[in-house]
Amino acid sequence: MKSVRDHLMFLLPLLAILLGIEFFLVFNRVTQSSEEKLRESYSILVVSEKAMSLKDFRRIDPHIAEAAPIPKERIAKEIARGMKNTPDREILAALPHFYNLHLDRYLSRQSVERIRQKLLAVKGIKKVETFGENHRAKYNLFLFLKIIFWSFVGLMGLVSIFLVVKQMEVWQMAHRERMQIMEIFGAPMLLRSGVLFRMGIVDALLATVITAGIFALLRYYYAPISGIEILMDRQALLFELKDVAILGGIALFIVISAVLTVAVKSRGPRE
Amino acid sequence: MANVITASKLTLAYDGGRKEIIKHASFSVRKGEFVFITGPSGSGKSTLLKSFYGALRPKEGKLTVGGLDMARIGQSKLLELRTHLGIIFQDYKLINEWTVEKNVVLPLIIAGYSTDIQQTQAKKLLRHVKLTEQADRYPLELSGGEQQRVGVARALSKNPFLILADEPTGNLDEYSSNVIWDLMENACDQLGSTVVVVTHRIPTIFNIPYRHFIIENKGIYEVR
Repeated sequence: MKSVRDHLMFLLPLLAILLGIEFFLVFNRVTQSSEEKLRESYSILVVSEKAMSLKDFRRIDPHIAEAAPIPKERIAKEIARGMKNTPDREILAALPHFYNLHLDRYLSRQSVERIRQKLLAVKGIKKVETFGENHRAKYNLFLFLKIIFWSFVGLMGLVSIFLVVKQMEVWQMAHRERMQIMEIFGAPMLLRSGVLFRMGIVDALLATVITAGIFALLRYYYAPISGIEILMDRQALLFELKDVAILGGIALFIVISAVLTVAVKSRGPRE
Repeated sequence: MANVITASKLTLAYDGGRKEIIKHASFSVRKGEFVFITGPSGSGKSTLLKSFYGALRPKEGKLTVGGLDMARIGQSKLLELRTHLGIIFQDYKLINEWTVEKNVVLPLIIAGYSTDIQQTQAKKLLRHVKLTEQADRYPLELSGGEQQRVGVARALSKNPFLILADEPTGNLDEYSSNVIWDLMENACDQLGSTVVVVTHRIPTIFNIPYRHFIIENKGIYEVR
């Protein structure tokens, strides 16, 4: 019974930390994918007198990731329809160059405005139009949720680390005498702390399996039938196999740090 | 005969060197000797013994145990040295969550001996200290005398070249004390271990030759 309680006292805060981290990973993936979608639908139209390449645009601002020329032929045809005596060829020659620019990520309104001003400052560029302002509210909501979520996860992590430290103190009290006796008889630190390492590693593995299990269930069983659009659309982001490695690595790091701290604190005095 | 312990102008102190317990003491203990160190309470008997197993570094002077300089010894060498020592404490220092048998073979566990060897040695030692029946019991289920016999068995389990005992009979009645002295005499006489015992009183009946040091006014003097 005591052993089960010992495990739970360490397992629960560890579980809270891992759940927080997994939530963080999932939320990050969801916001990243949303940002990507916003970025794709966001474009800048540039009208220039001279032909320009992506390289030219990137020299103006490195956030410019794509520069797609808009074919002038269709525009020339549209104009020619209203001008009987002017051939398409002449219109085509008189038309400036049109480019549709995409950015490497979704930027704030101020940053986009800065890019616009930089573009307008270039000789030959006549007009710059930005589109996608209708996504701004959605993006701001995402940012707000992200900050709230990070604060929550951070707070939860702090409380959990505090609980882990407390449990380490309990371990230290419970095992100090045994570890000191073993040290007197020449046991190296790894042997002295063997019981704690075993206990800690079991807890780390359990916490990893439980956390991964919860999110795998969410991805494969709950999300498809949830009826919640954001979950149904982004099922694949709810759990990835690499999360198991991340969670396991973090859990083991916490456990090993905790046990080593206890082991070092339990060393007999050597004055 | 080679010295197992050599102290030359040894000074031992606590509180970061401020409180000196032993000052400028010189003595040696030869291989296979039985040595008693006596002195009044607080004279520094246990402190001296601690320095022999490296729980206290010399403040000044030189102390060698088994040829190793205890002032300069590193942690890993110190742990290795301790695996060749048998240490007996007044308060037994048994691991209460472990059975008697497991406590006895602690030095063998540390040395990485196989379970078979551990079991064979445990049987032999428990027979030697007359605790065969108690092998599966836990220390707190035993009397003080029995617990100290477990402590002696543990100290003997790896045939140590040096046995250090800190008031081994301090908490025991006369009968149990005599059993412990018998066991320690045997360890010295039959196994050839060097034995250093710190005690406030030398047993009246002692059957093998021994040397006697006394600690007085921070100095160590040989009286026999």
